[in-house]
Amino acid sequence: MKSLEDVIQAAAVKGESAVDLLRHSQTGPNVYPGVPPEFTNWRDEQQAWQKTCVLFNLSFHMADLLVEGPDAVKLLSQLGINSFKNLALDRAKQFVPCSHDGHVIGDVILFPLAADRFNLVGRIPALEWVQFHAKSGAYDVKLELDERSAARKDPFNRKSYRFQIQGPNAMKVMEKVLGRQAPQIKFFHLCGMTIAGRPVGGLRHGMVGQPGFELFGPYAEGEAVREAIVRAGEEFGLRQVGGRAYSSNTLESGWIPSPLPAVYSGEKMKPYRQWLGADSYAARASIGGSFVSKNIEDYYLTPWDMGYGSFIDDEHDFIGREALQKMAKGPHRKKVTLALEDTDVLRAIGSQLGKNERAKFMEFPSAVYSMHPFDKVVAGGRTVGVSTWIGYSSNERKMLTLAVLDAEHAEPGTEVVFVWGEENGGTRKPMVERHQQVEIRAIVSPVPYVEAVRKTYTDRGWRKAAVT
Amino acid sequence: MTMKAKSLEDLLKSAGNPVQMLRNSQIGAYVYPVVPSEYSNWRDEQVAWQKTAVLYDQSHHMVEQYVEGKDALKLFTHLGTNSFANFPVNRAKQLAPCSYSGHVIGDGILFHLETNKLVFVGRAPAANWIQFHAETGDFKVKTRKDDRSPGNPKGSAVVRRNYRFQIQGPNAWKVIEKLNRGPVPEVKFFHLGVMRIGKRKVRTLRHGMAGAPGLEVWGPYAEREEIREAIIEAGRDFGLKQVGSRAYATNTLESGWIPSPLPAIYTDERMKDYRKWLPAASYEGTGSIGGSFNSSNIEDYYMTPYELGYGPFVKFDHDFIGRQALERIAGKPHRRKVTLAWNAEDVVKAFRSMLEQGDPYKYIDMPLSNYTSASYDKLTAGGKPVGFSMFAGYSYNERSYLSLAVVDPDIQFGNEVKLLWGEEGGGTKKTTVERHRQVEIRAIVSPVPYAKQAQASYHQGWRSKAAA
Repeated sequence: MKSLEDVIQAAAVKGESAVDLLRHSQTGPNVYPGVPPEFTNWRDEQQAWQKTCVLFNLSFHMADLLVEGPDAVKLLSQLGINSFKNLALDRAKQFVPCSHDGHVIGDVILFPLAADRFNLVGRIPALEWVQFHAKSGAYDVKLELDERSAARKDPFNRKSYRFQIQGPNAMKVMEKVLGRQAPQIKFFHLCGMTIAGRPVGGLRHGMVGQPGFELFGPYAEGEAVREAIVRAGEEFGLRQVGGRAYSSNTLESGWIPSPLPAVYSGEKMKPYRQWLGADSYAARASIGGSFVSKNIEDYYLTPWDMGYGSFIDDEHDFIGREALQKMAKGPHRKKVTLALEDTDVLRAIGSQLGKNERAKFMEFPSAVYSMHPFDKVVAGGRTVGVSTWIGYSSNERKMLTLAVLDAEHAEPGTEVVFVWGEENGGTRKPMVERHQQVEIRAIVSPVPYVEAVRKTYTDRGWRKAAVT
Repeated sequence: MTMKAKSLEDLLKSAGNPVQMLRNSQIGAYVYPVVPSEYSNWRDEQVAWQKTAVLYDQSHHMVEQYVEGKDALKLFTHLGTNSFANFPVNRAKQLAPCSYSGHVIGDGILFHLETNKLVFVGRAPAANWIQFHAETGDFKVKTRKDDRSPGNPKGSAVVRRNYRFQIQGPNAWKVIEKLNRGPVPEVKFFHLGVMRIGKRKVRTLRHGMAGAPGLEVWGPYAEREEIREAIIEAGRDFGLKQVGSRAYATNTLESGWIPSPLPAIYTDERMKDYRKWLPAASYEGTGSIGGSFNSSNIEDYYMTPYELGYGPFVKFDHDFIGRQALERIAGKPHRRKVTLAWNAEDVVKAFRSMLEQGDPYKYIDMPLSNYTSASYDKLTAGGKPVGFSMFAGYSYNERSYLSLAVVDPDIQFGNEVKLLWGEEGGGTKKTTVERHRQVEIRAIVSPVPYAKQAQASYHQGWRSKAAA
């Protein structure tokens, strides 16, 4: 078998759908690589991003794709739902490509480096989609992929390091490490700085309502820069965040990390599936959770589902445009946070200590056990949406999930039921022990969940758009 | 100019009370390095060692201390409480050397590899003690130390002298005979032998777990992946699972070995030369004590061999360090090693506090709950102190949190004791300790080893003697 299409066809012969393939995927645990599970302890690391400041090390878990050449903008604008009219060298943007049917393939950050030179950073599916079109279409571009650590033979030989300084004291740490005030630029704007004598690229970022920076530069210089930041952060309570806490930060800020790339179906997507390898991300990905449909398309998300409806720019031509135009009038589902009911959560945890059937183990702080969690959300006996990420926040003292719900059930305060665990004792994924499904009541809550974020985000991005 | 490295003795002089120093150590979690945290999931990995078969990778977390020369046995006889009257080549024994005051310094396995060539494998403290006497005593020996792997290698290559695997569980012998392509002579517990794996002949130590025979195998580190693949292949039909670092450390909760007594070396004039020899940066200088037991006298943390279940090993048929002290206490009542089965309601109460406002109870991690290199939690019965809990975690097999403890002689199986979980005053300054409250957890005093299967079928050594 050479391609994803071969893998899907081979499964079809055995009567298995793409859903079966992914739900029973034998790919093991998805590890957050390169950093220890905990630098100190995950409780304090979580609290630091709300109370003092943190250093996230993003150098290992994402891929980078350099897109360069006279047709770079043309290529990207034909794939992204976003407008490219306002493209400026000092601004990054979230880049969201969709399938021909208007479903999200992935979302990554686009960093302009020059008028004809861009770096895309994020999960691999969106980058592969760009590669496919660059190679099969008539574009004058050159590409250079720098794979994530988990997909490399030399995991610690990345091209760039990538850190984030976040939290209420982030700007004080920046000022200290820079020896001057941090650049006063707007959200998602770019700048250059010097840290520990090394030139460092900066992206103005933010989290839990506080300004922060993403910093990047040549991988070999990463340790010196990191050490300087850690030293500068000492007096401001900076904590480095380990692998266990890292993936739970999005529960508070509200970004859905894990849309299933919408590539498994559709005749128009077939050439892409034939191009994607049998060991590609898409072929090895896993779906986990209580939401079961025979139709893989029921797992696809639209830009509106993810809170990206406002990104869609009708003025330019791009793949998926027609489909999105048809979808535009709705109805659309809404992204929400689910706050799980304490008593029901404790019953699931307590089941590990009893004689009866046990619930699926609920890991702290991230309870995600597949690359693409899809748990069923029910109201009045009917499935009204899916939950896509789950974990515990010691800041909010809650087990939270990020869900996409039918609009009529998405009002904050609505009570719904979240179904935890898989049917019939569980699928064959290595991460799944035999268990019993349990129902957990949940209160629909705004996204982002954190009060501070809702009040103080000043950009016009999805975070703000999602709550207004 | 070379500066003499600071010694443990120097460090203790400047640090004041060693208890305060160790209880506030900044070293962080005691890491089981390099091995992935989970291969499948820690629940199923735990199940496999009771129900099918497992492969433990012990290549990284222990120190190897080689001693070679015509006085090698003489050295170990001088340090070991054990009898060396019957210790020919191709035998192993558990070595738990003691201080002059008769308190345990550490323990591990001593392999008699060849005439005049032995290796001790275990945590650092006993290895350091052996090296000290080899270097400073009147013994014609040479030593070579192969230190444990770094906790966070950050991409640097990890090279050990040997790989070290164990094949354990009820199907272990079937896997072993399949690997050997024929019967393997059934040697006695802790005897050494050889077997065939692939095209290699490897040395073996007859071991066992949960009452079933198993083997430890070792050989040149460069051959580790070849050997691992052969074992996994042979284990395919017998449900063999690789055990990750999260589950690995918890196997002792079921088998009953306490890995982490505090080395009894911080006091006593007779130990001063050793403290001057030990670097400040050693395990002994940097390690941590954690838990609710808080005494200003570090000697209150020392353990005798009798308390740790090594009483049956102590033989006064030879002269050894600590002999006089042990002779004085040999016939007296001793505290003894037991398993504590934690009360489920009290555990859930601790988890509930994570969903409430205010300081929670100390987090009880799954499956390993230790947050320090040496755990000492206070046990009481009827309000009176009756011992310590020293190693804690969750067993998916037994559906319970368990801990290994040392209790007063009058405490009977079936008695309820109270374990005080967490540290006083909101917690010490250890990085693994978040601000928290202490909580009392009821626990039932139970045999060691706890696993029912093991209780019925261990046939030799400290395990069965301690349980009897």
